[in-house]
Amino acid sequence: MSGAARGPEDRQAHSPGTDGGAGAGCAEAVVDAARPAGRALAALAGLREPVVWILLAIAFFTAISGKPVDGVLMLLVAVGLTWDAGRRALRHPDTADAANAPTWPARLRGGRRRVAGLLLAGAAIYAGVVGSFSRYSWPVTACIIVLGTVVVLIGWHGPVRSRPVGGRLPVAGTLAWIAVLVAGCLWELGALLQQPSITTDSYAHPTISTLTDPVLAASPGRAVVLLGWLALGWYLVER
Amino acid sequence: MSSHDVTIAGYLVVLALIVLLQVLATRTRAPIPSLGDMLTRAMRSRTGRVGVLVAWAWIGLHFFAR
Repeated sequence: MSGAARGPEDRQAHSPGTDGGAGAGCAEAVVDAARPAGRALAALAGLREPVVWILLAIAFFTAISGKPVDGVLMLLVAVGLTWDAGRRALRHPDTADAANAPTWPARLRGGRRRVAGLLLAGAAIYAGVVGSFSRYSWPVTACIIVLGTVVVLIGWHGPVRSRPVGGRLPVAGTLAWIAVLVAGCLWELGALLQQPSITTDSYAHPTISTLTDPVLAASPGRAVVLLGWLALGWYLVER
Repeated sequence: MSSHDVTIAGYLVVLALIVLLQVLATRTRAPIPSLGDMLTRAMRSRTGRVGVLVAWAWIGLHFFAR
């Protein structure tokens, strides 16, 4: 019973295989973490994560492109992730990364249809209300920040439903996906850099943001896009 | 063909490739993971999970927030 409520790192820390098989290595890691230098290194464990550096880069470039709120939020998450990884590394030096956890714990049980109905109604109300606000206004900014923060905090502790983590992915197929997604990002970046300036749109080299402006100019368009954004968020929280 | 058309054609090619990969992954036995499998794998660790969710939040901020 209690296993479902524990985090993956906790379950790993209590699993006989982890404690027994790597006993010597764990003891060494614990001793190292107990020293001041070891503790400092463990506290900086988050800096080993590429995601943290990507978030820091996004924070920097977002801030200099005239969106300081986005930049500050990205910076906060990057710092939070670094702190969290360091905290876990100090607590369980051998299990700082939950990448090998066999499953995530379930945090939402039963009543799926009822929960889905409530979420759907809430999403429709949210999209309708927030979509009625002007783009880039403070009310819409506050609504997006609040919901984004809630979703990230929920996701921080794992998905809301138990699911198998899955095995290794086929290398060739994975590389194909990465190539296509990177190509899309580079194409967008190319269009962005060919604008007259980073904050001035270009008809000749439109970015995705520029292309979506006509859709987002009207309230119904914003509501529909917000519904899609909410659906994607729920899909990701359940992953 | 103007620069505008070329730029949009590039986006459409990328979109078509994404659809093609997803169809190959879900409708055939090709060794290609679906986008969902890719996301699940990326979200296996806490940092990956938070990174993907922050990317989602950033999309909302970018298109709507000041």
